[in-house]
Amino acid sequence: MHLDPFELHRPSSLEEALRLATAHAGGFDYLAGGTDLLPNYKMHLNLRPHLIALDAVAELRGRGLERLGAMERLADLERDTELARAYPGFADALAEVATPLVRASGTLGGNLLVETRCFFFNQSHFWRESLGYCLKAEGDRCHVVPQKERCYATFSGDLAPVLMALDAEAELAGPGGRRRVPLGAIYDAAGDGIRRHRLGPGEIVVAVHLPAAARARASAYLKLRVRPSFDFPELGAAAAAELDGGRVRSLAVAVGGLETYPRRFDELTAPLVGEHLSDDRLRAFSEAVMRAVRPVHNTFLAPDYRRKMTRVYVRRAVEKVRERSGAAA
Amino acid sequence: MGSALPPDGFTLLGGRIPYIEGPLKVTGRAEYTDDLQRPGMLVGRLLRSPWAHARIRSIDVSAARSLPGVYAVLTGERYPTPFGVLPITHDETAIAVGKVRYIGDILAAVAAQDEPTAERAIALIRVEVEPLAEHTDPKVGVTPVTDPIHDRGLNGSNVQKEVAQHFGDVDAAFARAAQTVRVRGSFAGVTHAFTEPMATIAEATPDGRLTVWSATQVPHYLHRALSEVLGLPMHRIRVIKPEVGGGFGGKSDPLPHEIACAALALETGRPVKVLFDREDVFLTNHGRHPTQNDLRVAADADGRLLAYDLSAVIDGGAWSSFGTVTTYYNGVLAMGPYRVPNFRYHGRRVYTNRPPSGAMRAHGGTNVRYTVEVALDELAEKVGIDPFELRRRNALPPHSTTVNQFRITSTSFLACLDAVRAASGWDAAFRQLPYGEGIGLGCGFYISGSNSPIHFTPKMPQSTVHLKVDMDGGIAVHSMQADIGQGSNTLLAAIVAEVVGVALERVHVIRVDSDVSPIDLGSYSSRVTFMMGNAARRAAEDLRTRLVRGASELLGYPPEQIRVGRERFEVAHRPDVSVTYLEALHRAMERTGALTAAGAYSSPPMGGSFKGARAGTAPAYSFAAYVARVRVDAETGEYRVGKMWAAFDCGRPLNRLAVEGQIEGSIHMGLGQLMGETLNYRGARLMNPSLLDYKIPMPAQMPEVECLLVGEDDPEGPFGAKEAGEGPLVATLPAVANALYDAVGVRFTDLPITPEKVVKGIELRQREGRPWKGE
Amino acid sequence: MSGLRALVRLTLNGHPVEVSCPDERVLLDLVREELHLTGTKRGCDLGTCGCCTVLLDGRPTLSCLTLARLADGRSLTTIEGLSPGTGLSPVQRAFVEHGATQCGFCTPGFIVAATALLGEHPHPTREEVVRGLSGNLCRCTGYAKIIEAVLAAAEGR
Repeated sequence: MHLDPFELHRPSSLEEALRLATAHAGGFDYLAGGTDLLPNYKMHLNLRPHLIALDAVAELRGRGLERLGAMERLADLERDTELARAYPGFADALAEVATPLVRASGTLGGNLLVETRCFFFNQSHFWRESLGYCLKAEGDRCHVVPQKERCYATFSGDLAPVLMALDAEAELAGPGGRRRVPLGAIYDAAGDGIRRHRLGPGEIVVAVHLPAAARARASAYLKLRVRPSFDFPELGAAAAAELDGGRVRSLAVAVGGLETYPRRFDELTAPLVGEHLSDDRLRAFSEAVMRAVRPVHNTFLAPDYRRKMTRVYVRRAVEKVRERSGAAA
Repeated sequence: MGSALPPDGFTLLGGRIPYIEGPLKVTGRAEYTDDLQRPGMLVGRLLRSPWAHARIRSIDVSAARSLPGVYAVLTGERYPTPFGVLPITHDETAIAVGKVRYIGDILAAVAAQDEPTAERAIALIRVEVEPLAEHTDPKVGVTPVTDPIHDRGLNGSNVQKEVAQHFGDVDAAFARAAQTVRVRGSFAGVTHAFTEPMATIAEATPDGRLTVWSATQVPHYLHRALSEVLGLPMHRIRVIKPEVGGGFGGKSDPLPHEIACAALALETGRPVKVLFDREDVFLTNHGRHPTQNDLRVAADADGRLLAYDLSAVIDGGAWSSFGTVTTYYNGVLAMGPYRVPNFRYHGRRVYTNRPPSGAMRAHGGTNVRYTVEVALDELAEKVGIDPFELRRRNALPPHSTTVNQFRITSTSFLACLDAVRAASGWDAAFRQLPYGEGIGLGCGFYISGSNSPIHFTPKMPQSTVHLKVDMDGGIAVHSMQADIGQGSNTLLAAIVAEVVGVALERVHVIRVDSDVSPIDLGSYSSRVTFMMGNAARRAAEDLRTRLVRGASELLGYPPEQIRVGRERFEVAHRPDVSVTYLEALHRAMERTGALTAAGAYSSPPMGGSFKGARAGTAPAYSFAAYVARVRVDAETGEYRVGKMWAAFDCGRPLNRLAVEGQIEGSIHMGLGQLMGETLNYRGARLMNPSLLDYKIPMPAQMPEVECLLVGEDDPEGPFGAKEAGEGPLVATLPAVANALYDAVGVRFTDLPITPEKVVKGIELRQREGRPWKGE
Repeated sequence: MSGLRALVRLTLNGHPVEVSCPDERVLLDLVREELHLTGTKRGCDLGTCGCCTVLLDGRPTLSCLTLARLADGRSLTTIEGLSPGTGLSPVQRAFVEHGATQCGFCTPGFIVAATALLGEHPHPTREEVVRGLSGNLCRCTGYAKIIEAVLAAAEGR
């Protein structure tokens, strides 16, 4: 399987990268670790004539407790014991991404912006042609939920849910300048599902920032999948909380692998603040999260099972946080 | 690791013999087909059908042909002769003729200067078709249908093969049965998923010859199919088998792309390589048949088996492949390791518009074994006896005959049961572990080589081995047996070295090449150790005889007093009087030059005289008894097999390293089918043609495996050996399923057993008010 | 037809190499087709089998998903570069002795990955080996003898 020809650019600064992006507006992809983009290119999914490799851009590097450069390799983040101590849920998630070989090349930014996945999208050109393509690539209809408006491909990153639960912010740089937004805001919850993010043209995720509050929280991430490596999440449940002797000071829960974007459930966690995190409350909360999610049939496990497991995995993730906080049920 | 020293006076056999090609494989120096280059080689590419079932109206290849850099574009009419692995079911063509029958069927083949040009040429081919009714449900296909997939379907249906057998009187047995059990099994299709994608290189030369290098398990059948379809006599075709990166049955049929590649080479006069990507491999399939079976078991009050009443509908996909054999095997391979005095079987294999099913490791034996062993677990519970006791009561004794005329010779099945029961701590665990933990027993047997060679002149041997020794003392071994990773080259070399008494490094197994390798039927039906092993032994004994004669002349003692030492020949009662191997060799060479020797093996006549009687007959059978320990997360349905005790009777294990490797690998493959591997179809469309979405188990899913090799010498096996390549798979699945039952009280009969099925099963049991083990 | 080309300079198995390379070429194709080092295997071409693993500056890397140009100036080690002359490295020797290779097609990827693993964890636990090799697929061995071999190599057995 050879790649179709493209022009590869390798800027050495952010400024140069953005300049290239402007020059090739509409006809390029950024290339981070390549472990998601290049398989998709080999399958002729949404090819662009220009690739802008970000591996030589120093501004996208660096890792500390407050700032993680988007081009940090997952394997390097995984090895960082200080990070693991500060954000155990983030360490959980890192260890669950794909395989050690993918993590050796894959990056933080790449995982946050991993292309959404679907049985009808992640297929060869031949396969998709035999079905008349789909809404997300070259076609005009969705085969999962038959209609022509919205794509239901599944968000399959492991890191976003836990970082969102930790109140992480994304630092973005684009031709129009820099901005910082809550990480969850880069995903387009209201969109058509075809694009996986709402970044502006040429905009790059430069880094992820973690607030001081995140270090006061215990966190956890649990992933449902068929095999303990390789597989994308069929469901990823992240929780982060600051507990004061079992009473909730702050609590955030986010899930991935279920819908087109990762999702945080502030409206469901808000009533728990100030309350004792009892098993009963936790069960009711997990049940409510389950009722809120709408997986579709485009991954290996059936959607009703993934939904049912949302209740279990969310509950267990919060229990793990409770355990890590040293709080009792 | 056990002792490195083999027992019983052998120097090699029975010990742990590292694979002789190991040093080449670990350094990347072993040559697989795709590693070979030929000067001026073109890239061959195939246009595959996007239609599941359609009549071809026209194929316009003119634009593709006129593209610069394109050397040839072929369609089906060029070589329309049908072929197939079984001589009675030739229903495939190298390239589709008239119709396409599944998404992936080959419509045209292109040879071009490079991959991008070949891809562009493929994209320029215009095909017009008339779509036909799609058939994807084998249960519908048993009745007459609109647009049957093949003309040969029985009575306008899609039935490719129907088998009806009845031995004894099943109805009478059920009428007097004290206990009956019924299990209906449903099995998704699974596939071999070897790591090396198929690859073929073909080169036609001006001397009128065609050379084909291919990743094949059965070079001889490929040789024949090439000859038949291309119309070239066999002696003008040379088939070479480089290293093969796994097969498991998936490289045992002659495959259309191999013939298409050769056709492109003939057309262009240039070497052509066809290399598959992973999707090509999945679409070529020939994996284990999706199967629905239904077994009723009758037993007396003590659990003694009275009858099996079995039926199966199996999904054959688009071609026949090994399907006639598969149809028989899905019945007759229920006939061991227990005595079943009455047996009725109705099996149908049905064509569908899906990638063809074929032979996969433990071909035809895996799904029926699952159903049998789960049924026996249920029967033991109904009768109120331990599953081990139930099996002991019904075990086939050595040197017995089954009701369908299988000749059972050696069996150490009882020893397998005893060994695994003790090692696994069964008596302290069965039904005594806490809820969610379980232990289960599954057993099995399998053919040690198929008695009836397919596609072959029956009077010729099934295996032949030639040896050649020149003055350097190295022994060249020629045989068309096909090492695909199981270690048959190593065994071949070890047998020769053992018999002749020389160091293993003196023996060179020559790469399979039909110009020099005498015919052996290759790697399928778990035949190699038994058949090639016997042929190798005979060849080596022939060589030894000549060497002994040389030694006898030098030593002045008669041959019958000469004994083989280590690289020496000694006088039996005077070991101090001896000559070296080389001295004896050089003496023996004085009259003829280089020595040559040959050995061959044919299995003895066996089986009944009824229709289909030969199916499942084998010169010996392996036996197995496995115990699995599982732990289930009852809330999520996720489970893990913690340990597997594998008691196996392969007669005398000749290479313990290889036998263990076969058992461990078989358990991995069996667990894959059980836990998550599935060819996931929606209608005719394969949804998961990739190694990401086809769930081969990872290291962390593997249990600890304890191999217990308890066989006794088989009277006809080479040095007492029987097969160990496929039999080790079949017991795996039911052992785990029965352990799951012990853990959570649910019988799973729909494979793969995904976590969601476990959860559903537990919920159903709870709804029915059946608590389990104090849950 | 290929696109733009650029010169790529590598230290390949300890020796400098310069090769002109189209932008879209991945390391796997460069190694196998241009440099004729065929020990690195093409199992899936999509990062889902590990057969094509090489070391890039000592890190295990999926060569099928790495653009060759991005390896410019770096040190590339393939399976052919792991053993001295006609000898075997300790990991290679352990694979042979423990029967960790059957068909052998996944073997180079496993050995490269295992070599990297032992570089980082010279005395790994079984669990660390299982985790560290969980990006490589083997269809023959059930992994048992592979894990055994890696542990043996670590212990100098």
